[in-house]
Amino acid sequence: MKKYLIIATVATLFSGVTLFGVESKTVEKVYQKECGSCHMAYQPQFLPQRSWSKMMKKLDNHFDVDASLDANDNKTILVYLTSNAGDVKASTKHFSKMSNSITSNETPLRISQTPYFLREHRGIPKRFIEQKEVKSLANCTACHTTANQGSYSERAIKIPNYGRWED
Amino acid sequence: MKKVLTVLGLMVTLGFSAPIDGYMQSLANEAKKADPSFKGFDAVSGKQIFTSEHIGKKGQNISCASCHTNDLKQAGKNTFTAKVIDPLSPKANKERLSDVKNVEKWLKRNFNDVYKREGTVVEKGDVLTYIKNY
Ligand code: HEC
Ligand code: HEC
Ligand code: HEC
Repeated sequence: MKKYLIIATVATLFSGVTLFGVESKTVEKVYQKECGSCHMAYQPQFLPQRSWSKMMKKLDNHFDVDASLDANDNKTILVYLTSNAGDVKASTKHFSKMSNSITSNETPLRISQTPYFLREHRGIPKRFIEQKEVKSLANCTACHTTANQGSYSERAIKIPNYGRWED
Repeated sequence: MKKVLTVLGLMVTLGFSAPIDGYMQSLANEAKKADPSFKGFDAVSGKQIFTSEHIGKKGQNISCASCHTNDLKQAGKNTFTAKVIDPLSPKANKERLSDVKNVEKWLKRNFNDVYKREGTVVEKGDVLTYIKNY
């Protein structure tokens, strides 16, 4: 009983906070929670605005799975993605290279099929990708140990059942 | 502060149960309305719903257990993305079934992925009963 009282009190206090408007920290949290539940929450800088807009329109069929959201959360996330997209906010060298490699007549939905990405990952043997710890190149965190922090430096690459990557 | 006190006061007088119980009660009410002979949810058929395989949205054999495993107290693994999933049983993971909106969202998605349609009121009640008491 006491536990529920505490939860209820905290919940009430929080519902008060949202009255002052949704802060960017909160939006980031919504993104991390909703888009980080099936795979890592990919950095929005990896794709241009038009890609995110297209993706958010058909979440009920997202790479053949249902990732649908209610209208409110969908809108919050779309705003977050488009205001941090690669074509408006490419902050590091990796993000800008990724962004610059996409031609304006293309609207990729996969980061893992953009030209820069394909070039960087061309030399990785198939067996490293297909093993059960990785499954696909979309699983950035399996090899890039600091991907969740937005860092893809070569020093932080460690391939499961193989180890550090040397060129 | 006044608001907090009012809410607390209300809860003390009305008696308070977890939000998921309210949600499951409303599923039960709906089931009863549709079928007056409805007796209540059944964990055994919930288990069947959870563990049986079907041709899913991706066109391949899949069950709820493909991602959550057959032991709900253990961590699972997303069969499509290899991401680890924390245990589904509320007895092993206190956060489970604590947020009704989240539960509804995932039931809708996961039924679509496994059954290529949303769950019925009875199916949702049965499977939640199974998970809750696991
Ligand atoms: C219900 C599970 C689920 C949720 C929720 C989800 N995704 Fe995905 N996502 C997937 C799957 C499955 C794939 C395909 C993974 C693969 O091919 O290995 C994918 C792939 C992706 C890719 C392409 C990865 C690549 O290959 O470069 C992007 C980008 C993406 N998701 C963004 C999002 C965003 C943004 C959200 C939040 C609105 C989201 N996802 C929520 C399941 C999900
Ligand atoms: C199978 C392991 C593996 C997976 C999965 C993987 N990468 Fe990589 N990645 C590598 C390796 C190895 C390199 C270095 C290639 C080289 O330099 O020869 C690399 C290089 C990169 C680079 C360039 C780094 C640099 O400094 O040149 C970026 C950016 C990058 N990956 C992003 C991603 C993203 C984003 C994802 C997920 C969508 C991903 N990677 C998934 C193994 C992986
Ligand atoms: C493709 C993988 C996958 C399948 C298949 C799957 N789930 Fe899930 N399920 C997830 C993921 C991912 C989450 C959310 C991740 C998390 O909260 O840790 C989730 C969350 C849930 C939740 C929310 C629990 C809570 O309170 O946080 C319930 C309930 C649930 N699943 C039930 C089911 C049922 C019932 C089925 C079969 C109809 C099913 N799942 C099939 C991946 C799956």
